[in-house]
Amino acid sequence: MFFAPISKAITEGASNSRQNKSGLWSRWAWARGCVCLLVLTCVLVAAGAQQAAPQFDDLAGRAAAARDGGNLPLAIDLYGQAEQVKPDWAEGWFYLGMLQYSANAYPEAIDAFNHLLALQPGVPPGLALRGLCEFETGAYDDALRDLEQAVAKGAANQPRNEQILRYHLAELLTRSSRFQDALAQYQFFAAKNILDEDVLVGLGLAGMRTPLLTKDVAAGDRELYKAAGAAGYTLLEENTQLADELFTQLFARYPATPGIHFFYGFLLFPHSPELAIEQFKSEVAVAPGNLEAHAMLAFTLMIASRYAEAKPEAELVLAKAPDMEMAQLALGRSLAEIGDVKRGTDLLNQVLQADPDSLEAHLGMASIYSRTGRREDADREHKICRRLAK
Amino acid sequence: MLTVNTRFAADWLSRAAWRGRGRLAASCRAGALACLLCLLVTGQLVWGQTAKGKTAAVTCATCHAGVTANYAHAPMRHAMEAGGANPVLDKHPNLTTQVGGFSYTVQTKDGQSTYSVTNGTETLTLPIKWMFGTHSQTWVLEKDGHLFESYVTYFARGEQLGVTPGDQRITPHNLTEAMGRKLPIWETEECFKCHASGAVEGAKLTLDTLRPGLDCERCHVGAQQHMADAVNDNFKTLPKSLKKMGAENVSNLCGSCHRTWDTVMRNHWQGPAFVRFQPYRLEHSRCFIGNDARISCLACHDPHQGVDHNDAIYDAKCLACHGAAKVVAVAAAVTPKICPVSKDKCVSCHMPKVELPGGQAVFTDHFIRVVKAGEAYPD
Repeated sequence: MFFAPISKAITEGASNSRQNKSGLWSRWAWARGCVCLLVLTCVLVAAGAQQAAPQFDDLAGRAAAARDGGNLPLAIDLYGQAEQVKPDWAEGWFYLGMLQYSANAYPEAIDAFNHLLALQPGVPPGLALRGLCEFETGAYDDALRDLEQAVAKGAANQPRNEQILRYHLAELLTRSSRFQDALAQYQFFAAKNILDEDVLVGLGLAGMRTPLLTKDVAAGDRELYKAAGAAGYTLLEENTQLADELFTQLFARYPATPGIHFFYGFLLFPHSPELAIEQFKSEVAVAPGNLEAHAMLAFTLMIASRYAEAKPEAELVLAKAPDMEMAQLALGRSLAEIGDVKRGTDLLNQVLQADPDSLEAHLGMASIYSRTGRREDADREHKICRRLAK
Repeated sequence: MLTVNTRFAADWLSRAAWRGRGRLAASCRAGALACLLCLLVTGQLVWGQTAKGKTAAVTCATCHAGVTANYAHAPMRHAMEAGGANPVLDKHPNLTTQVGGFSYTVQTKDGQSTYSVTNGTETLTLPIKWMFGTHSQTWVLEKDGHLFESYVTYFARGEQLGVTPGDQRITPHNLTEAMGRKLPIWETEECFKCHASGAVEGAKLTLDTLRPGLDCERCHVGAQQHMADAVNDNFKTLPKSLKKMGAENVSNLCGSCHRTWDTVMRNHWQGPAFVRFQPYRLEHSRCFIGNDARISCLACHDPHQGVDHNDAIYDAKCLACHGAAKVVAVAAAVTPKICPVSKDKCVSCHMPKVELPGGQAVFTDHFIRVVKAGEAYPD
């Protein structure tokens, strides 16, 4: 529940935020986490600062005092003056940007972080804070790029940072239709038992493959996504019996709504292809035109070694989307297993041309070579599989 | 589960033309015990009606008495048993162990086994509902409508209880967690699907109608239809012959429970804990090739019988390819090497025994290879 006030504070107006001590406290706390990450990168800068002009030393000292005293406007002004005197002061740009972010002055904060990142390219706190600012200004593509890099570089290592960064990253991934990546971010919240309404709605959106931010969900749809998110969250918590009950309730309540069976099937898929198949079948019954659902059904049937059933599903997909890799894999492997080795091999090779490290394609090739007695080729493919599976 | 087939309620026994009649009659006379056994073994039968109106059961044993009699004692047949009759626990009526702050007791009295765990102040006791395994045993327990895998397992190697393989990573925080691991729905299905018959219909678990252990239909898909049709003198629906399948197909069939190469690769499983997945290990072997039945699981193992632990038994299988007198070039013109060290007990060197982490059990590594002294377990 701790997550909610932080998230709310970020989206509140600047004037409100200035008076909202709890919001400020959250931001300062977050910033302290960032500072930890910035310490190493600031060591050199701090050394340089010792040799700066007396005017700069005075400004920097007063800026820090104002910051520590919670006087945001004064601190921002003083850090700004100090940066005019010494524009290569990275620590100053960081604090200036962070203070402006706290004051909801997002464009100004982005400018400060741009300076910081020009001086110290790729520094994780800079990327993370710039990404959050970009999110607030609606520059979602930029925000996604920055937050993804920041998380990859370890900006989410501090627990408090992790929640806010992963939540925003998950939202942006969902908006960009990178649903699987978004679900991976939401998995964190279930693993840590962090329950929040926005998280549930966001998880519901990602699971039902709806490329929206939570704030853009129509009021009438919010309950659906929240309920779907709650069912998915319960499953991710590994309370599978309750999750099954929650999904069953959803199916009864929204029998014609696309995406719910897909969501459940997708969560079941890594654990039980057979259970997932039932859900994907239900999904294509609800949404016959959903090629992605047909592709998942074909792929899952293939994984379950139900090749004869996988073949027509995959063919249906490839007739409309010839480049869909999942369907190529499903059809290629299925054809090879049921006797059309030539066409199966061609399709799997097609996948390997686009994605040479596709484990599934190499598994298929290993099987083909083995059952056709091509020992050396089978050995080679087995070695590749072992490498890719490490 | 009884399948009542009414299609042949007429006079199948009186039909002189039925080519199986003589064999059937002979089997029935000579194998009344086998029939009874088969009812117990397979739980699968179809009903026919004699000319005199008496019904008679047709089972797999009706024609395959020998193999079903053997299979009655095979480990796969007893992959799972319902609580109540358990030779292992009868032999060890009072098993105890201590893990962390919890004490475990498995007591068997009057044919009933109970599983207890205590932290010293509270005790949780549950009846053992299902027993998985014939030598070493893990139990499935039911509490508050949920199924749990017991946290401790009986290991045949030391004839004692120990932490269930895979659960070493779990640190129980309360009595329920110490009792066992709550099984997710998918794992429950997988467990019962591989250890019992009729436990899953479609995607639904049907514990009320399951038959413990694996019946004939589990591997011989279509056996039920074959039985029904054979009664009507129709032998066109014979189940697929597993003997004629190549090694790759057999590995995939056996691997549906014992785990395939694909399954292990897809799950990125590594380390000696997975040595117990034989089809995956076998496919590692340089001599494995999918179109050759001489390297299939069935080349060495008859699932209708127990595993033979006499190493020498398997020599003929190795020498079928590696024998000096009759080197046979297999596919891709590879000439199998002749062992310069020995001609007997090949598996004792080339298929080493590997201890599971924790040391509670030992498995034969089916990755057939030239083992170098001191080498690490090869993934």
